[in-house]
Amino acid sequence: MKPVNKDVLKDAANRLLFDMKDEEYDTLLKEFGAIQHQLELIGNIEGVDSVEPMTFPFDVSITYLREDEPIEPLSRDEVLKNAHDVKDGQIKLPKVVG
Amino acid sequence: MKSYLDLTIKEIHEALVNGKTNPLELTKEAIKRAKENNDNAFEMIIEEDAIKRAEELSKLPVPKDNYFFGIPYVAKDNYSTKGYETTASSNILNGYVPVFDATVIKLLNDAGAILIGKTTLDELAMGGTGTSGHKGVTFNPYDKSHTRLVGGSSAGSATAVSDAIVPFALGSDTGDSVRKPASYAGLVGFKPTWGLISRFGLFPFAPSLDHVAYFTRSVFDSALATELLAKHDENDSTSSYKERDNYLSYSSDVKGKKIAVINGIINSIEDKEVIDAFNKTLAYLEKNGAKVEYIDVDINLLRAIYPTYMIISCAEATSNDANLDGIKFGPNYGGKTYSEVMFNARTKGFSALIKRRFVIGSYALMRENQEEVFLRAQKARHFIVNTFNKIFEKFDAIYVPAAPSIAPLINKTSENFNEDFMIADNWMAVGNFGGYPSITLPIGFENDMPLGGNLFAKPFDEVNLFGIASKIEEGTGLINLNYPEYASKKEGK
Repeated sequence: MKPVNKDVLKDAANRLLFDMKDEEYDTLLKEFGAIQHQLELIGNIEGVDSVEPMTFPFDVSITYLREDEPIEPLSRDEVLKNAHDVKDGQIKLPKVVG
Repeated sequence: MKSYLDLTIKEIHEALVNGKTNPLELTKEAIKRAKENNDNAFEMIIEEDAIKRAEELSKLPVPKDNYFFGIPYVAKDNYSTKGYETTASSNILNGYVPVFDATVIKLLNDAGAILIGKTTLDELAMGGTGTSGHKGVTFNPYDKSHTRLVGGSSAGSATAVSDAIVPFALGSDTGDSVRKPASYAGLVGFKPTWGLISRFGLFPFAPSLDHVAYFTRSVFDSALATELLAKHDENDSTSSYKERDNYLSYSSDVKGKKIAVINGIINSIEDKEVIDAFNKTLAYLEKNGAKVEYIDVDINLLRAIYPTYMIISCAEATSNDANLDGIKFGPNYGGKTYSEVMFNARTKGFSALIKRRFVIGSYALMRENQEEVFLRAQKARHFIVNTFNKIFEKFDAIYVPAAPSIAPLINKTSENFNEDFMIADNWMAVGNFGGYPSITLPIGFENDMPLGGNLFAKPFDEVNLFGIASKIEEGTGLINLNYPEYASKKEGK
């Protein structure tokens, strides 16, 4: 496992596209002490690695083809209603290429 | 009784059918109470539209078979409601107005239920205290000195039903977010089988664990809501195709029912009054013919429930909430590049607590850690579910206290981290791991604060679950429990 220090946590936060105050990284570092212990608790289950990872409570796989009927989706105007900056029916962002 | 609004849905419906009250009278009273309430339960009170809708409905005949007609209700503010700001109590969604209704909101509105408000929650539903939303702490109705929490994350919804503002509230349950506050607020809190009720329009937190869930003041009302809401929905890819049952067909006859009590959970509870109240209900079940058996589950398995929940839920949330970027919706603080726009929106929009949870999730998902952290937690989940599935091969239900104590004091929520307390405080997440139907209901009081018990059954076994729960309710007599009535009875003594 990757060792945890403030730089690793800051890198993780920045990759998630946010930053925290310096003292919040200290709090988080302390919390990771408890998390390491919690990971040990998971490891204490005898035979835990003998089962497959579970992604959903039970199997819900359904194979079917839906009817080929037209449906009314949300209109473009509605979809864009909550965007901060809209131009020509599209969301406007800072230029990527000069 | 001060108003018909004080009654259960079933009783209000009877009063509506008999012309003793009407939707407008009920709605006006609900809005009045919501405005007067000072337990900080609301993100928004919907007055004008609710009154207009109630006026329309008051002109119509009351359909005898539609229990939700004219019933005022509230929804946790993580359900999409067309035209009403929906923030999930997070600043990152301030100003966001959904352009469609969640499926459950649509079903309720189509039935003639009247939405009178959106309620507070722990930010983005990630929390169990009702203290971390952008509106601050939501208080427990039973403690007017405002020192005790109501629990979360569905805090405002619990408070609204417990304070008798409405008889029904939508919440959501990813770990125990309806069933725990139900225990602290003296309510029936029900989470159905995963996939039974559509989650379309419910803001995702951890989709493999998320459930629509709700608060009522009786088991019957909870079954009524299930009858209305348990429908297949093409808009939710995880919506079950299984034929729905008649949820009102339950029987409170528990003769021969086999009920398991898990030793490790009971032994982890130090509060004697919790155990005493629980034992009384257990004795009532036995007296009525149920067969109760205390069983052992590996203590290491019980201790792993909370860590497993924490890792899986944080990891899923990290990924799900990546769409909160200040671009498509939510406050936009500008930036020189698109990533700077997102960076600024997320840095300013999320609270410190949420950010820490996201980093924990991200750490679990890092390539170097995935096998040992995230995948191992998913394996633990599988192991735990296998163990509980085996219990359900022999038993009709598992029954244990819903919480190890009465509602905790607000400033003492994170002090008790001993491993045994953690078992009793978090075991209900197993219901989300395995998608089991699970119901909390009031079983007694300690120092005038409510205590709850919780029942689990195997997936899609709601009818059996309601039956056993209704027998417990019959034994305690704690039906339609709400704070105003409790307080006035106490004063009368």
